[in-house]
Amino acid sequence: MLWKDKYELGVSIVDEQHKELFQRVDEFMRTLRSSASWDEKVLHVNETLEFMKGYVVEHFRDEEEYQQKIGYPGYEAHKKIHTDMVNYVLQVSAEYESSGFNEQLMQQFGGKLLAWLINHVAAEDQRIANYAIEQGVTGVDC
Amino acid sequence: MTASLYEPFLEATRNVFQLMLDLSDISDQPAEEFVCDDELDISIGVVGDLVGEVIYRFPHTTSLGMVNIMSGMEMSSVDDFVTSAISEIANIISGNVLTMLAGNNLNCDILPPALRKPNDSLEYTLRTACCISTSIGNVFLDIRLNQA
Repeated sequence: MLWKDKYELGVSIVDEQHKELFQRVDEFMRTLRSSASWDEKVLHVNETLEFMKGYVVEHFRDEEEYQQKIGYPGYEAHKKIHTDMVNYVLQVSAEYESSGFNEQLMQQFGGKLLAWLINHVAAEDQRIANYAIEQGVTGVDC
Repeated sequence: MTASLYEPFLEATRNVFQLMLDLSDISDQPAEEFVCDDELDISIGVVGDLVGEVIYRFPHTTSLGMVNIMSGMEMSSVDDFVTSAISEIANIISGNVLTMLAGNNLNCDILPPALRKPNDSLEYTLRTACCISTSIGNVFLDIRLNQA
């Protein structure tokens, strides 16, 4: 899962967090998709999942603060997208734990996360950058 | 009406493929051009001013090519991971179509993606299909809707 320059918003803290998120999700995918047996990789998958749960919430919070600072008109809609994703992650995570770490659930989660994150950063978050450029507030940081 | 439905689906598919997969050479072909033996059928239910479903038919080679591009990893089979990623793309395309339709005063919502073949026993007044051609393979779009 490669980071591309076109994803950059021009807001250093958000861009750094996006890059970190891509790197972590990539690591998660590579572990998930490795040829090792599920028993061998489940511990690493669980550790990465735990990290991402915390990191995603932190990143969404910082990004929402930035949107408020620049008066982004799509703030409420964007916040809802974040909230829906966090709820989805928590729901899958709970289901995964109660299933005794079922691999199928994690493979499905990984596939959705891959497509969701690329679209979110490449499309939804770019609208924030476009607004900041239009308004001449690209220098505002979190 | 059928033509005005077809255009948003084509435009949304083009936009999503360009943005997420960096694929720009996308064209629409007659539905008859689509030939496939092994495919992933993803149904997105539509409710609101329009009711019905849109079936996205992704040949396995197209599905694998799409996930390879997104993940940077070589996928060899259409498993749970690949199916889920492709389902999310169908969901994203459909979400973009809804935004375009809302601009034309058609307010709809979509249901979560489901793996299933179309139900041919149902009648639809707004029915169209096309083959979308890309450099990593074709995608078949089968739009089956009624006005509420």
